[in-house]
Amino acid sequence: MIMFRKLVWMVLLGLLPLVLSAVSDNTIRVGSKKFTESVILGEIITQHLQSNGIKAIHQDQLGGTRLLWKALLQGEIHIYPDYSGTIIHEILQSQNIDSMAELRTALDAFGISMIDPLGFNNTYALGVTQAVAHRYHLNNISDLLRHPELRFGFTNEFMDREDGWPSLRDYYQLPQKKVRGLDHDLAYKGLESGSIDLMDLYSTDAEIAYYKLHILADDQNHFPEYQAVVLYRSDLEQEVPEISTVIGELSGLFSDSIMTNLNSGVKIDGNTEAQVAQNFLQHNFKTTTSIQMSTIFDRLLQSTREHLFLVLLSLGAAILVAIPLGIWGSKNPTTGQIILSVVGVIQTIPSLALLVFMIPLLGIGGPPALVALFLYSLLPIVRNTLTGLKDIPQDIRESALALGLPKMARLRLVELPLATRSILAGIKTSAVINVGTATLGALIGAGGYGQAILTGIRLDDTSLILEGAIPAAALALLVQWLFDLVEHFFLSPGLKNSQELSS
Amino acid sequence: MIQLEHISKRFGDQKIIHDLSLHIPAYETVILIGPSGCGKSTLLRLMIGLLLPNEGKVSLFQEELTLDNVESMRQKVGFVLQDGGLFPHLTASQNIRLMANYLERDSAWIRSRLADLSELSHISDNLLERYPHELSGGQVQRVALMRALMLDPDILFLDEPLGALDPLHRVALQEDMKIIFSQLEKTVVMVTHDMGEAASLADKIVLMREGRIIQYDTMSKLASEPTDPFVLEFINAQRKPWQYLEDQIK
Repeated sequence: MIMFRKLVWMVLLGLLPLVLSAVSDNTIRVGSKKFTESVILGEIITQHLQSNGIKAIHQDQLGGTRLLWKALLQGEIHIYPDYSGTIIHEILQSQNIDSMAELRTALDAFGISMIDPLGFNNTYALGVTQAVAHRYHLNNISDLLRHPELRFGFTNEFMDREDGWPSLRDYYQLPQKKVRGLDHDLAYKGLESGSIDLMDLYSTDAEIAYYKLHILADDQNHFPEYQAVVLYRSDLEQEVPEISTVIGELSGLFSDSIMTNLNSGVKIDGNTEAQVAQNFLQHNFKTTTSIQMSTIFDRLLQSTREHLFLVLLSLGAAILVAIPLGIWGSKNPTTGQIILSVVGVIQTIPSLALLVFMIPLLGIGGPPALVALFLYSLLPIVRNTLTGLKDIPQDIRESALALGLPKMARLRLVELPLATRSILAGIKTSAVINVGTATLGALIGAGGYGQAILTGIRLDDTSLILEGAIPAAALALLVQWLFDLVEHFFLSPGLKNSQELSS
Repeated sequence: MIQLEHISKRFGDQKIIHDLSLHIPAYETVILIGPSGCGKSTLLRLMIGLLLPNEGKVSLFQEELTLDNVESMRQKVGFVLQDGGLFPHLTASQNIRLMANYLERDSAWIRSRLADLSELSHISDNLLERYPHELSGGQVQRVALMRALMLDPDILFLDEPLGALDPLHRVALQEDMKIIFSQLEKTVVMVTHDMGEAASLADKIVLMREGRIIQYDTMSKLASEPTDPFVLEFINAQRKPWQYLEDQIK
């Protein structure tokens, strides 16, 4: 037990430089949302900055609009692409912004600047398969009024956006009740398999042509314009004065069909966003940016490093906090109940919600993911420490007391060693859960095996999903095996047979 | 050596010990005996400070037992429980040496003390390296006795140390204990409910009922000059099998 703790400390100290280097990084961070078009735009911005000699990195597919906006305000990212309609209705929630000039003024109040539009309008649209359109005679959104039985599948963001499903429903008085939220890329699958009849689309989605989808006309003009723009922090101009000029060069370079082609280059032709961005910039600026083609081993090494960093640091901290909490709780039933309730409640917070809560406090990337994982790791260790100590038979406690051992010595020499098996089991449970939960860290830019899973889902690429899922499962097994080994070497032979302990 | 003055002990509403006073002189072996629930085990725990009295005071070595000195007092006495109370994660030898190691006693002293006690208690070297679950009930009690004696305490407290043993091991350990107590010159307080055990080991017997002392005397005085009808009733209730057979024949 003592040696094991030393080992944990050594690992934690070894990881310290990694944390510090992550904090002191001062390159420009470009963010993008969790869908292909945003990732392509983020990549184009990043490579364009780099080819102009500005240090920039791309933190891709961070999450949804609110997360990106918060991260921008916090300075966690400096630049990201968004759409005028989204900014007005979702972020500012304003009814009276009618021009780009008014929008620019409104953003100025937040210390955010905006370049002129990129040149394409990626509006929301509702799409059905040709077969469904034919069967129900669907051409306009108004036609949906006649078919309340139709099943809708919308992105979660569309489900509760101010300009999304709620206002669309009220605007057209749509009667449909079978409406559920799901991932955008999975919705195409659902549409194809017939488990939903209608989904929301981005008008520049490459899949519209690929799946030959029929788009319902917005005959009563509900959806606003979604002009693509680039947002950046105004204070960036102090550090990089040429920033507005460089980013501004991208204005007007796009059209609806150009963007659809770029999307299709990734989603249908299977190129990487980096390649597509490189070709685009080469075509427009005659510049060649060098993009690093990563092999599967590079990626695995990188994501393993990130994943281990998350797991080891958060688990190590959880062990150091949870064991004392468990000890404290075992001394007094009321305290124990309170501690267990608190860590139990933490466990019930959905992981995505917890990650988003952390962003205003800790920004994006490693720190919020570490804190969330740390919090999730507490319960099993606290509970097992507490029960392990409470289950020590009365006669054993009494003889430790009767020997005249002081409190701390009883804990160190008798009680903790007797609870070792239970505590180790708690740590093992935490570690396995932690390895799994850490894949969600990719949603807020912490990397790890989740990155490949996330990209795989977005690109509908099973091999990419497996590239994240298999190592994650293997790591979970490895962790389990490692703890069995620890138990084998550190548990007293007198405790190996638990029947003897309880008799 | 051990002085109890007007002590009372309650658990919730239930009064276990009623205004009880008792003096146990040095080097005597005193047996606490009585029917189940008479408070004999509680009394033993009050003497060692595992429980504190609601009223009255307990003194060991002419010093009152308080929360402040209870740990240092316990280091000067030994305690053996019915099931031995050995720590399952330590070998027999580690169990015995635990406290001496904690107090950083000289290792040569520890080795020789361990050897002396092993001989006295008939525990061989290979048994010392076993874990408690690998020992028989009698061996566990012998090891527990060695652990209690390791620091050479002046007082030894035993709570039904033979209670869980089969009759053969019981008699063997009882005889060994008799020798050990007299050789090491200890003050011994032992709880039992077996009159035969008490008669064999005790200099004096404390007969208890319902939290009170009925009589505190030698075995022969208890039999010849009982102060209460309960004394004879209790002694006579403890029949031997051969007595039972004799009664049948008559």
